Parts: sequence; structure tokens; C-alpha cells
Amino acid sequence: MTSIREKGYHHWEGQFLDNPRTFWPISRTGIKLAFGRKHFKLGYTFSFLPAMIYAVIIYISERLEDFKFIAQGGDKLLQVNPDFFKSYLTLDLLYFAILILMSIGGAGLLADDFRHKAVQLYFARPLTKADYLLGKAGVIIFFTGTLTLVPAVLLYILKLLFAGSFAFFLDYPWLILSILACSLLIVLFFTAFILLASSLSNNRNYVISIIFGVYFFSEILRGISFAIFRSPLSALFSISANLKQVAAGFFQVKPPYNYPWYLSFLLVSLFCFLAYLIVKHKVRGVEVIK
Amino acid sequence: MTAIIEARNLSRWYGNVLGISEINLEINPGITALLGPNGAGKSTFMKILTGQLKANIGEARIFGEKVWNNRRIFSRLGFCPEDDAFYEDLSGLEFLSGLLSLYGFSQAESRQKASQALDLVELADVADRQVRSYSRGMRQRIKIAQAIAHDPEVLILDEPLSGLDPLSKRRIIKLIKEFKNAGKTIVISSHILPEVEALTSEIVLIHQGKIIARGDIYFIRDLIDTHPHMIRIKSAQYRQLATTMAGEDYLLKMAFEPEDQAVVFETHDRDRFFNRLNELLLSSPLAIDEITSPDDNLQAVFDYLVGK
Repeated sequence: MTSIREKGYHHWEGQFLDNPRTFWPISRTGIKLAFGRKHFKLGYTFSFLPAMIYAVIIYISERLEDFKFIAQGGDKLLQVNPDFFKSYLTLDLLYFAILILMSIGGAGLLADDFRHKAVQLYFARPLTKADYLLGKAGVIIFFTGTLTLVPAVLLYILKLLFAGSFAFFLDYPWLILSILACSLLIVLFFTAFILLASSLSNNRNYVISIIFGVYFFSEILRGISFAIFRSPLSALFSISANLKQVAAGFFQVKPPYNYPWYLSFLLVSLFCFLAYLIVKHKVRGVEVIK
Repeated sequence: MTAIIEARNLSRWYGNVLGISEINLEINPGITALLGPNGAGKSTFMKILTGQLKANIGEARIFGEKVWNNRRIFSRLGFCPEDDAFYEDLSGLEFLSGLLSLYGFSQAESRQKASQALDLVELADVADRQVRSYSRGMRQRIKIAQAIAHDPEVLILDEPLSGLDPLSKRRIIKLIKEFKNAGKTIVISSHILPEVEALTSEIVLIHQGKIIARGDIYFIRDLIDTHPHMIRIKSAQYRQLATTMAGEDYLLKMAFEPEDQAVVFETHDRDRFFNRLNELLLSSPLAIDEITSPDDNLQAVFDYLVGK
């Protein structure tokens, strides 16, 4: 149908670069953008305050003789044992700090891409959906990991260093695994939670409302349910209660609620799985590569 | 030679709404323009070519390889979307470097290639400014920069000239032509026809999800020769010219435009008309200021083909 005309073709001189870490530039950009947000650096720095207080407690616990004036009546508080690490990883203040930070630096991870239609830029490049989601998850993993896993492991090392012996390690040889498992579960939960919230709206302000609304509403629901049924299972409605219950199971300490910890573990795992399916579906909703 | 881009029986629906239907197309190096009104199916076709949409029926191939789920292909392809798609808080250089990292380039390489691309689109002086502070033209240019930064062989540009001021348009047109001269394959979509005329004569007309014509604009014009050609001649002696031409049997209609001192002829045989006009000009003291073909443009061709 067309007329014949001359056309030249120059062979491409580029090269295919096989990059197994395609997700990393996405995470790196997300982390950089988060640090660039107003008040984020300040908030992030203050979020390490609990870890620093716990470090001081470890120091004092090893120097009880020197700190008798403080330690009076507070022996139990100064005991460094599995419960000590569990209490750090289940601090309400820590969860609140994570929520604040992630509402500043994580709420827009998917929402902003949807709003700016940036997803098409990613998927017109040699990138899979898994790379994309892993890249976005990497931002949350980085921040929650540096606030949970990293300080908890450092506290453990600090305890060994201050003790000057392996007695603590020999008393609780499984403790480091508990720290790793519990931290990873918390990181996984918050990653699923924030990404799910971020995928539900194109507006980051709505996403922030969803994050705080769901978190605190779950607490309210637990209170209402307990007031009506007087059942410890009411704790299953609460996000923080479930995380505390699972942590108790991991650290082999008495659970705060009178029901098997694995129920909460199953619930948290189910939530993470459902969140993954929803996020995957939402990203697919903007027509991308499988 | 195998075509760079091949579409075989491509069809895509959005529920009950037809996106494109049975598109068969081969695209070779050079600039090919997809033309059609909004909703014609241009963007759907481009989304299939860039792997963002899967065709319900048929397949798209680039360099002989299937596009869908073939991430290798995307290293050789650059896509400029119609919508703004930016991280507003990043500088132009950071935005481009970040996207280049997705190809597997190191940070240093990414920054170098990003700088080169920004230089090409004449944004080097604002490379460190946040994208949010960019004007409409700058945003359009950085969108093109992200498409060309990795030096792709195939460029898919969705409405790259929309919303640009004349100066920016000229810059982008120049840039696209440079890519054409470098032997690349460029597919460009537009519904603003004069812009496309400035870029290429190789056009594909899409309407209601189907290709209604393709080829050289003048070739298409010849295909629809049943419709008379319009020739507008501006001359101080336009009435004398009309009188002389009136007797020609291939002339169908004449209309005067006294305010412009012009006469518009309609003929079904353009060649004979121009031969006769040449004779007249040589044999008489007629002075002609301007000869134009008002319907010899893409809008006219498009209107004829869709039966407007």
C-alpha cells in the first residue's frame, strides 16, 4: 500500500546488562526521597531513643554496684533476659514511631506512583512486577529494619560485650534466633500494612488516614469486644496486641493474653498474605507485566 | 528486511469497550506517525508495544521477539508517555539517573548518561533543579530525555508535542528528526495534525480501533482521488485567471475570496490543472503570489477517510 522509499538502519551498539538487583534503584530512590521529606530526619533520629535507653539499661545492669542508688527497687526492670528484648521489640512507642515515619516516607510509595502514573515508566523498562514491589517494600524494610532488627541485634551484642563472658549466650542460646524471627515478622507485617494502605488510594493524605485509622481502630475494636465478651480472644482484633502475643511466643515468655500465641501468628501471617494479594492485584490494575 | 515492529492481528478490549481491533502493521526505521482522534486506539496500541498491556488476540513483536513479558526487549526501547510521570521532589538529573539504574547501569554511568540526555534536550542548565519547578515545556522535554537516555533503537512517543510552546516544539521536532537520521525507529502519536506534518509523511490513520489507511500522506491523497483536490491561488489578477481556466473540462468548481484576492479551484485531475497553469504563466503576464492546497493536509485526508 505504501510507496517505496529508502530507509537506513544503524545497528544498535548498546549492550544488555543483566541486573539481578533491579529492585535496588527503586528502594534507593524511595529511601532518598523519604530522607528529603520535612521532619523525617528528626523523627528518624528520635526513633532511636528507646534503643538508646535500652542500651543504658544494659550498661547499668552490668554495673549494678556502681548504680545502687538508681537500682533500688528496680532490679526487675534492670534484668536483661529474653523478656527484655521482647519488651523492646513490642514497645508501643516504637510502633508509633514506625507509623509516623512510614506515614511521612512510605505512604506515597505506591499512591504517588498511581497518582503520577509513574508505573508506566517502570514497566516500559526491563523490570518485572516482583522487582517493582520488592523495590517499594525495600524502603519500608530499610526503615523498620533499622528500628527493630538492627538495634535489637546491637543490644544483644552490647550485652555480651558488657558482660565480658558468654554466660548470657549459653543461658539463652536460642535468643538471637528469636530476635531475628521476631524482628523479621514485625518488619514483614509493617511492610505489608504500609504497602497495602498505599495501594488503596492515589492520595497520600488518605493513605496516612488509613494507616493511623486502621491501627488505632483495631485497638478500639479490641476494647469494645473485651467490654462485651470479656474474652482474651478480643486481643485478636488489635494489631499491637497480636504482635505482642506473637513476640511472647518467639521469646518463650508468658503471653500477655490468655490464648495460644500461634493464633496471633496465623492471623498476622494471613494478613500479610492477603495484603500481598491485594497489592499485587492493585498494581496489576494499572496494566503491568506479570 | 524484517520490520522492526510487527503487529499481527492485534485486538484489545476494555470490558465491552473496544480499544483496538485486528491491527496488522509493520513499522520500519524512520518516523511513523499514528494519527487519530482521542479514543481512536493510539495509546492502546502504544501500551501494547511497550509491554504494559496484553493484547486479547494477536501479538506484537519488536526485532522479531514477542513484547509481552519479554523484559530484554525494553532495553532497546524508549517510551515517552502522554501523561506527566515524575518524582517531583527529585532533580532532573536524579530522576533520570534513577530510571537509568533500572537498566543495570552503575551510578556513575547512570549520571553520565543522564547528563548527556539532559544536554540533548537542552535542560543541562536546570539539571539540578527539582522537577516540580519545571515549566510545561521542560517537563515534556525531560519526559523525552528519560525515553532517549539509554540510547534505545525504538522510540515510542505518545503525544510528545502536546502543550508545548512553538520554540519547544521546534526543539523537540529537531531532536526527533536527529533520531530518525541516526537510523532509529520512531513511532509517534498525535491528534494535532500540522505537528505531524512537520515531522513525517509516513502516517498510519487509526479510527475506532482500526487502521483506516497507511502510507505516505500524498500517496493516501492520491488514493482518494475520487474526491476533488482543492487548489487555492492568490493573485492580483485572480478573476482573470478564473476566466481563463473556466473552460477546462477537469475543473469542477471555482470560488472567489475577494478579501484575499484569491480563487479556489476544485479539480479531479490535479496534474492536468497544473500543466495548464504552467502554460498560462509562461504565455501571459499573470503574476501569482501563492499556490496552496487547502485540503492537501492530514486533517483533510483524515476527514475524507472517516467519511466526514
